[in-house]
Amino acid sequence: MSKTVTIVRNVLEANERRAASLKEYFDGNKILCLNLMSSPGAGKTSLLERTLADLKGEFKMAVIEGDLQTDNDARRVAATGAQAVQVNTEGGCHLDSSMIQDAIAVLDMKDLDILFIENVGNLVCPAEFNLGEDHKVSILSVTEGDDKPEKYPLMFHLSSVMLLNKTDLMPYVDFSLEAASAHAKKLNKDIEIFPVACRTQEGLEPWYDWLRKARAGKR
Amino acid sequence: MHELSLIQSMIDIIREERVKHGMERIMRVRVVNGALSGAVSDALSFGWECLTQEGELKGVALEIIDQPLRVACGSCGLEFEPEDKQYMPCPSCEEILGHDIISGKELYIEEIEADVLDDKGGAA
Repeated sequence: MSKTVTIVRNVLEANERRAASLKEYFDGNKILCLNLMSSPGAGKTSLLERTLADLKGEFKMAVIEGDLQTDNDARRVAATGAQAVQVNTEGGCHLDSSMIQDAIAVLDMKDLDILFIENVGNLVCPAEFNLGEDHKVSILSVTEGDDKPEKYPLMFHLSSVMLLNKTDLMPYVDFSLEAASAHAKKLNKDIEIFPVACRTQEGLEPWYDWLRKARAGKR
Repeated sequence: MHELSLIQSMIDIIREERVKHGMERIMRVRVVNGALSGAVSDALSFGWECLTQEGELKGVALEIIDQPLRVACGSCGLEFEPEDKQYMPCPSCEEILGHDIISGKELYIEEIEADVLDDKGGAA
């Protein structure tokens, strides 16, 4: 005789459990943890290079770099003097909490102020996996088109901040800051939007102020 | 995009439940997939087919229940099922922002149908 057994278990429960214990760890150690997400080439690493260099006198920061292959990004970030550890997903489309647990085991977390997690370049999957972060931050570059928040809603829905990068290229592309902002606000009315150009270092100060405020909130 | 790894997580859960409930042969697994879960039902079915080609779950049916998106209006509180996942005007007050999601984000195993051993160790 067969019998139906009620289960009701979340398929992602293992990840959620690990994410909750990471969150507890970050809170307990007063570390601000940010999960940076974007498509490949939007400028996550460039933003980190600038941020790490400009704020290194203010905060102790470390970076977890997620990529399918290579340690190119970890080397770029480490050149600023910040600690960096590379996680290779070997084809995986996102980082999960177990990878973050392994990565923080090799980082020196003592007195750390801010931990940046640079997720795998992908506008879809990374948004579905919590990593115990305080905030998700999405980066959209103006060369990608202003309809991306509308096309990839989950990431922008869950992000506290959207950085619109490469604004120095605005004269050459049909990108409307207003349209991109409106699409993002439609999904998430509280999202903070900062237009920046990492290459020319324009517009970064409001982002740094946001970081300072978020960091102060963890003390 | 990562439905295969979701199926792997499901199989891990099913293995645990099988031991816990003393299940013999498993006939059917029912999964609830919300419209905003990010997992595509067709891709889940395909992933299930791939990962149950052999072994203990060979031939087990995966039943996927698609759970529609349901929200509560951010302004007037009316509960409704938006037709469009991106643009969701409230049918009552037309507010488009700040809705709370009531259901549609979930992805969970709801039930497993199986032959279950009774206390004496025989099939019940």
